[in-house]
Amino acid sequence: MIEFDLGIAEQLTQVTTTSSVQVRVGTSNSDLVIASIIQPLMQNFGMGGVYITASQTAPNVIEMMNTIGLDVSPIHFIDCVSSGILGGTQNPYSNIGYIDSPIMLESMMLRTLHRLENSQIQQNFVILDSVNALSIYNEERILAEYLHTFINTCKNRQVLSLIVNVPDQTPAGVLSNLDLYCSDLIDRGQVVIS
Amino acid sequence: MLGNASYERDRCITGIRGLDEILRGGIPYGSATLVAGTCGSGKTTLGMEFLMNGAKSGEACAHFSATEPSVKLLENIRQYSFFDMTTVDRGLINVFDMDVLFSWLGLDKSTFNLDDIDAMVKAITDIVNTIGVTRLVIDSVTSLCYKIPNEQLIRDFLFKLGKSLSTLGCTTLLIAEITSVGGTAHRSAFGVEEAIADGIIVLGDVERMGNLLRYLQVVKMRGTDHSRAKYALEITRSGVMLTPMLKWGVSQ
Repeated sequence: MIEFDLGIAEQLTQVTTTSSVQVRVGTSNSDLVIASIIQPLMQNFGMGGVYITASQTAPNVIEMMNTIGLDVSPIHFIDCVSSGILGGTQNPYSNIGYIDSPIMLESMMLRTLHRLENSQIQQNFVILDSVNALSIYNEERILAEYLHTFINTCKNRQVLSLIVNVPDQTPAGVLSNLDLYCSDLIDRGQVVIS
Repeated sequence: MLGNASYERDRCITGIRGLDEILRGGIPYGSATLVAGTCGSGKTTLGMEFLMNGAKSGEACAHFSATEPSVKLLENIRQYSFFDMTTVDRGLINVFDMDVLFSWLGLDKSTFNLDDIDAMVKAITDIVNTIGVTRLVIDSVTSLCYKIPNEQLIRDFLFKLGKSLSTLGCTTLLIAEITSVGGTAHRSAFGVEEAIADGIIVLGDVERMGNLLRYLQVVKMRGTDHSRAKYALEITRSGVMLTPMLKWGVSQ
């Protein structure tokens, strides 16, 4: 049985729908940290949302969450890697939309807004997973510009944004911009191996 | 005599998400706007969404199709959630095949002369007048212009058409097909369409690392202030959506 990080649930009681949360993870704990975010947002606060996945495919994320015991079927996934990078979109899930490439940042934004407009749920979040994956394909300055736009667009529409990154692998300029734009920080970037 | 600085022309609200903001409220009523785009850039979808949004508010709308049969057009457009077939049944959306219109007019020929052009303009304006059309799309004006042998006649055709429709208070989108040469999109196939039109909206693609991103840019719009920036365009099930294109991504 996997135990959720209850400190995250506690911290999320302090955020609002206009908050933008920088989520620092380590390379080995990202799945658990993200699950520990989604679980209270959906089950405690009744929120819905959009999950933009650039680190791995959306089916992988869904199956991982299912393994943890989290039903993510109310979340809509925007998958940036399955179509144009890996070339396969055959799967049994109907809650996934595809973008050809992680460089199509504006498409990511518009698809997210489209899903939010059609959401039946009043309060929504957007998880961006992850800045590191996007930085493989995008130059630092366009990525910084995108994050600036993304955070402010979510804020204007009263949508909670959560931006996942592995800090020691994030370009310095992007990281400092995140520090500047984000209102809150969930820091699980330092993994203690016991 | 000084003009009235606070005077604002009435607008035709397109209802296309993002476009009315770009146009600071919509297209000035009665304007003829050239929507020039490369293939697959979203011209037809944008045109149909423009009409559908008018029909939903009770306006009579017309679409003249010169590039594909109306049946095929409607079949393609039915996949979008903005499309409501009852607007066709209720006579608010009227779709005409240009080929059929040409047959009625006895214009089954490859090249039009001035009389033919006058007959075509009269037929279109008669239909607009009879039905009381306030929103019109001609898709595409380029296909019609191919039948007109020289630039002066094309200019005459577009000028007469624009003037007649404007007099009737009909806001018109003239869809134009353009090609992308050396990465630079031209604004019209014949070079004269852009000079005659009240507004020019260009649709095209920006290539970014091997991927094509659609964009929309309002180059000209008489009678209103407007943004001249490039906007990323996405075609979703709900129709066209626009967001400002990332500045560092425009010229990559």
